[in-house]
Amino acid sequence: MLTAYAFYLTTILVYGAVDSMACLALNYQFGFAGVSNFGFIIFQAAGAYAAAILSMPRAATSNGGFQQYVLGWNLPWPLPWIGAAIVGGLIALPFVFLVGKRLRGDFAAVGLLVSAVLLNELVKDYVPFLNGAAGVSIVPAPFQSKWNPQGLGYQFVYGGVAIVITIGVYYLLRRVTESPYGRSLRAMRDNDIVADSLGKNLRRQRAGVLVLGGAMAALSGAILVGFISLWAPGAWGYAETIVLFAAIIVGGAGNHKGAILGAILVPLAFEEITRFIPPVANPTLIPALQWVAIGLLIILFLWFRPNGILPERRRFLSGAAPADVVSEPATNEGDALIKLGNVDQLNFRELLRLGDTANDHRVILSTKGLTKTFNGVTVVSDVSIEIQQGRLTGMIGPNGAGKSTTLAMLAGTLPASSGTVTYDGQDITNLSSFKRAQAGLVRTFQLASEFKKLTVLENLVSAIPKQSGDSFVGSLRGKRYWGSEDKANIERAQEVLEGFGLTQYADTYAGGLSGGQRRLVEIMRALLAEPKVLLLDEPMAGVHPNLAHKIGDQLTKMCESGMTILMVEHELSIMDAFCDPVIVLAEGTVLATGTMAELRKRPEVVEAYLVG
Amino acid sequence: MSSFGFGLITAAVLAIATVGFTMQFAVTNVLNLAYGSVMINSAYVTYYLNIHHVTIWLALIGGVITGAVTSWCLNRFIFTPFQRRNLAPITVVIVALGVDLIGTFGLQAVVGSSYVAFHQTAGHEYHFAGMILNGLQLIILGLCAVVLGLIHWLLKYTRLGKAMRATSANPNLARNSGVKTQFIISTTWLISGALCGLAGTVFAMNTGVFEATSAQLYIVLLLAAMFLGGPGEPYGAMFGALIIGLSTEISAAYINPQYKEVIAFLVLLGMLAFRPYGIFGSEKTL
Repeated sequence: MLTAYAFYLTTILVYGAVDSMACLALNYQFGFAGVSNFGFIIFQAAGAYAAAILSMPRAATSNGGFQQYVLGWNLPWPLPWIGAAIVGGLIALPFVFLVGKRLRGDFAAVGLLVSAVLLNELVKDYVPFLNGAAGVSIVPAPFQSKWNPQGLGYQFVYGGVAIVITIGVYYLLRRVTESPYGRSLRAMRDNDIVADSLGKNLRRQRAGVLVLGGAMAALSGAILVGFISLWAPGAWGYAETIVLFAAIIVGGAGNHKGAILGAILVPLAFEEITRFIPPVANPTLIPALQWVAIGLLIILFLWFRPNGILPERRRFLSGAAPADVVSEPATNEGDALIKLGNVDQLNFRELLRLGDTANDHRVILSTKGLTKTFNGVTVVSDVSIEIQQGRLTGMIGPNGAGKSTTLAMLAGTLPASSGTVTYDGQDITNLSSFKRAQAGLVRTFQLASEFKKLTVLENLVSAIPKQSGDSFVGSLRGKRYWGSEDKANIERAQEVLEGFGLTQYADTYAGGLSGGQRRLVEIMRALLAEPKVLLLDEPMAGVHPNLAHKIGDQLTKMCESGMTILMVEHELSIMDAFCDPVIVLAEGTVLATGTMAELRKRPEVVEAYLVG
Repeated sequence: MSSFGFGLITAAVLAIATVGFTMQFAVTNVLNLAYGSVMINSAYVTYYLNIHHVTIWLALIGGVITGAVTSWCLNRFIFTPFQRRNLAPITVVIVALGVDLIGTFGLQAVVGSSYVAFHQTAGHEYHFAGMILNGLQLIILGLCAVVLGLIHWLLKYTRLGKAMRATSANPNLARNSGVKTQFIISTTWLISGALCGLAGTVFAMNTGVFEATSAQLYIVLLLAAMFLGGPGEPYGAMFGALIIGLSTEISAAYINPQYKEVIAFLVLLGMLAFRPYGIFGSEKTL
């Protein structure tokens, strides 16, 4: 009897390890990087199949050939497990086109979901590949050359190996997520378009996440199949992915310990407890009710405790004690009172890495015949403008004049329908937006665009280019490799923060700030991206006029220090005070260019504004 | 040619389903992955009325009402409250998956897992243009033509339809122009839900026998048809359903019928990868 319990215990250990590993991997993708991999189970299944057929003998020779499958290389442990992890990483690659830059997250997710459904059907129907619906069975036990797989000792060793590997996965993922690279992943999760505009390569980041998570999922499948020795389509229906999502939602997305807790609570405990329900007349009743319970769990948790039992923890980068952090949400009424800090002492030339060259007012950014057409409607038509280095150029125009669209084409957020964009002597019309940002052409957005679940300081630091820890390999090399540089980056961001008077909010989630404060965060973040040319889309919208003028003073100073700014703005008093020259757009074309004083004398400009 | 006939029927059922699905997406921006479970629940209501001596065509109305009411409730009590919390669109999709599990397996817990069939007669066989269609299939085709005609009339010629299109194109602008968007969204879910209920019932009629999980794979066809015509585009949905319905059935005549969904799957992935706004749509519509 006792041995029976011991065997049961080892089963629990292995299942717990496998489920934890799967949840850690999915949480890395979904909770940290925002990649909703609804086809996650494909990767676990691929790993299980790969490990099985790599370790099994040739199909014709095995057990009288009662099952059909490909490969059958008869490899000794650990080669099948390594092979499984590689297969898991490789099959992630075709899915990269789905989760790449352009596609909405939920569309990519249904693409992955449908892939899971269809691949399951195909494997089920096409028997020669992996023995169809019956699946592969009698998979050799990995350490059977040394121990008797039926023995209790073997079972405990297996459980031990599974747990050690899971712990390894945990530490590896933590190393990755708690690095500058992990910060970039979370920034992408919170707002991918903005991360892109700050120079993050979304496609590469998402590909990396899919490959690493896929390899880990596959490894978990390999461990499972080595233990239960069979694997069939029934074990990896698309809905199994939903169980893992339920686990992460319950445990806490964006928290590694939450993923493990979720794995223990949902797939493991839940399945084990319901195992003890006495059988009833209707054999599908209990499994059906289990699925209903999973569905309820998802909905109830998302409603009552959307961050899970162990919510994502906040990273306190400023070094201040957590207790000192202002965490109550700021109010918009307080915006009038925002005072910039010692901003006058900031040396922008130094802070923005602008170098010592004097302003030469050469043309640094220009367009020729820039045109944008949506669905046959021309929004921007034949716009040719020249932006001079070291100047604060304004762009005004009535609503719908095409200001934001022009700015988006300059930054690469939208592709131009025709025409060219030239930056610093290079034709960048076809350069993607993140590469433009890396080259120093950085934009801000009209709508609030902070990374909500990053602290203010994290928002700022995430924008700093060329961080040695901001790549997968860099993150693996650990804190010893990137730590001191990151510390310097944090100090630099703190200096800017102090200049703009928001030091007390350093460790506050950016999503909890007031409208005016978020504007400031966005401007500071753009500055830390080290722009040569900064494109501001209505930076003063919703900002108290007093504050707007203080910001304007600083923008002027930045231009004196060698930066170039193009600012779209509605507020004419801002244009009067700070911008020279000013470009007037109306109905998608350039109406006039000149100083505000000149423009006010031109009847067509006045009319466009009054009529528009 | 006979597979062309099958394809037409499949396309007809799919068209009714996809128009409802895409209308829900149009006005609320929700990919309602619970759609298949509402379909099959509606089919079961029709079935229970049917075995209690209600003729199938009368019982069908019960299915339609079930679909309409269930969908309305889903939007009113689940999707809308979640959307008001300003969550990422993916959260609502996950919620929809949860609802799908509850709907499908809740039904299975109640009715068990055995297959059932309506009391219906296939009627006479008619041969024309090389196709063989029975009376039942002709009625399904006719029903589809009438329903799609009604949807066309609704969208093109009624104030309600115009308000729906306005809400779909730009909810804020529609609201500011005096459209009662909340009412329009509710009504859209009621109408699209009726289509869902109807689609579920005719789907079950067409397959002959069905059980609680029979519509689980249907979401693949739905999504393929919707993305082919452009998400949120009712006319695109009709076009997409025609192409997907015909191509799956005709391809089944040449390859192993077990793989017939593969065409739909490839179409869906291709659309997602290259033209996620549909063949006729433009990027601005997303």
